[in-house]
Amino acid sequence: MMKDISDPKKILSNALSEGRKVLLEHEAKELCLHYGMPVAKSYLARSKEEAIEVAEKIGYPIVLKIVSPDVLHKSDIGGVVLNIKSKEELVSAYDNIITRVKTHNPKAKIHGILVQEMVPQGLEIIVGAVKDAFFGHAIMFGLGGIFVEVLKDVSFRVVPVTREDVLEMMKEIKGYQLLKGYRGQPPRDEEAIVDIILKLSRMLEELQEIKELDLNPIMVYEVGKGAKIVDARIILEA
Amino acid sequence: MLSKKLNSFFNPSSIAVIGASANPMKIGGVIVRMLSEKFKGEIYPVNPKYSKVFDLKCYSNLRELPRTPELIVVAIPAKLVPSIVEDAGKMGVEAAIIISGGFSEIGEKGRILEDKLKRVVEKTGIRIIGPNCIGVYDAYSGVDTFFLPEHRLRRPPKGKISIISQSGAFVGAILDWASKEKIGISKAISFGNKIDVDEIELIEYLADDPLTDIILLYLEGFKQGRGREFIKKAREASLKKPILVLKGGKTLTGSRAVISHTGALAGSYELYRAAFKQAKIIEAEGFEELFDMARALQSMPYSKGSRVLVLTNAGGMGVMAADALEKLGLKIPEIPDHIQHELRKHLPPYCITKNPIDLTGDVDDERYRVVLETVMKEDVVDVVLAIVLMQVPRLTERITDVLRNSLKYGKPIIACMVGGKFTEVIVKKMEAEGIPVYPSPERAARAVWALCTYGKWRGVKIK
Repeated sequence: MMKDISDPKKILSNALSEGRKVLLEHEAKELCLHYGMPVAKSYLARSKEEAIEVAEKIGYPIVLKIVSPDVLHKSDIGGVVLNIKSKEELVSAYDNIITRVKTHNPKAKIHGILVQEMVPQGLEIIVGAVKDAFFGHAIMFGLGGIFVEVLKDVSFRVVPVTREDVLEMMKEIKGYQLLKGYRGQPPRDEEAIVDIILKLSRMLEELQEIKELDLNPIMVYEVGKGAKIVDARIILEA
Repeated sequence: MLSKKLNSFFNPSSIAVIGASANPMKIGGVIVRMLSEKFKGEIYPVNPKYSKVFDLKCYSNLRELPRTPELIVVAIPAKLVPSIVEDAGKMGVEAAIIISGGFSEIGEKGRILEDKLKRVVEKTGIRIIGPNCIGVYDAYSGVDTFFLPEHRLRRPPKGKISIISQSGAFVGAILDWASKEKIGISKAISFGNKIDVDEIELIEYLADDPLTDIILLYLEGFKQGRGREFIKKAREASLKKPILVLKGGKTLTGSRAVISHTGALAGSYELYRAAFKQAKIIEAEGFEELFDMARALQSMPYSKGSRVLVLTNAGGMGVMAADALEKLGLKIPEIPDHIQHELRKHLPPYCITKNPIDLTGDVDDERYRVVLETVMKEDVVDVVLAIVLMQVPRLTERITDVLRNSLKYGKPIIACMVGGKFTEVIVKKMEAEGIPVYPSPERAARAVWALCTYGKWRGVKIK
């Protein structure tokens, strides 16, 4: 999938020329992929037929997500369907998504539907970035769900980060024990996280246009089994 | 080297004071008086109103001086500053400390003057500290532009701690306090609006200054876009000597961090904290802690690891120290059996030998000696926190010799002593022997932490 990876600068200038500051999901993921980060296999299908074809290549189960600049919170309006196991389910999910988006906003511009592999559950983490007037880009790390949203258990480092910085920022959060393995849960692939953050650091150094970024969630698997970015959101500077 | 040029601020051969005054209560008067008492180079007061300031000949303008001064100190109304500094720059004056306020800190009108001043730096190459600052204090060269009279602000003894401060009042208060505490200071710099020289360049300069062992920084905020450069340069500097920071203005953050995405979580203090860690700078929580840590880092070798021996003659205090150390992420390893066995040969059976080691209330100097010698020569701990309560009957002032002699193992020793008049005498003696003493287990623990944190960094090779 996504074999012909576009020039990152082109993705950015294309979005800006269309007056979009928020990249579409597949654009954000392409950037990540370009910098060598592990992204859940996904492909933008522009028709139902194309979606079926792509789903066969990826292999069921798959996920469908609406790709539209006019829909910000995809799942809130039913723009995401998880765990689709067959062609028949895909066909009906595809139509349902289009109908729901049109009902929600008849004028919504639809770029297509993202067909994505249904990745296995792992330990969910969040990696984010902001651009600050004093420091430039900084990277945030935290565990997914309540750890970030309620407990604000996160750590930051300023770009560029070294390997040592990343190891420190992982250990700094209170929930670090969950990565090490807890109550029968296996220890997680910390190296995969280090790899993602180092690659992200390079990406941010090269793409100064990025104002904000969230890789949320990233599934982290057992040691040696890597990690996968499930969703990516990138906002550009005006 | 840019930093080399900063030398003119600290060690000039001559200084002209623009806005000198014969009135000792005025800024230009205090500065000339302080300089004439301590500075060994030439001093040229400049002010058309006077022919003499104190015992010195006063000149009506810079062009009249017998030679071009290396440094000028400027204390005149803001609107006159840019043209005079430009003239100085053209004459070949190396550096200017601009005390005058009335620049960007007062709004648009001042901002225009400040921009003019910036262009003077670009055009003439003169270096500027300030404006809107109290400038430079150097205990060794006698440069002292802190316009606070000596009877109000006592100057501390010469030492090797240098201070860089965004706030002039803060560094003034520190000097006064340091003189009372007899803490030796080398240099102090208040950089005000930092239109040219800022904290980054000062850190670089002090890192290479043989008269500075430790750099203390009071920082409110960087100029836009300077954060990354700060991390890079401070990281290099902190491989040469410890840098401690106290950050002012921390609290805006908390209220802003209300929603979940990264933007909202990254309050600016969060980024400063991250930057300090990346720069390997040790952050102190407050003024007291800044000097607690500085004292330890100045007098003790750095800890090579994070294993702490807690040695006490009061069980409860040992527990409090252990709690504080563990919270800071340090280890208090149990002493191995064979060493405990050895200790028990010399100690009464009711002493606790695991770690914390509790020598109990009937302790004498000898018990401390036995434990320190037996444990420190082994590779079991990296640093010692010794709690010594002098209220017990058998301890004598010779305990200070015991601790000092134990420094031969090359490992740091921090003491915690709590008490009244009798204790105070021993504390003084202990500190005279070079052992830093703290009045609570928590403060002692933070000092231990600073030694471990900095030791870890110095053990790390930079790539």
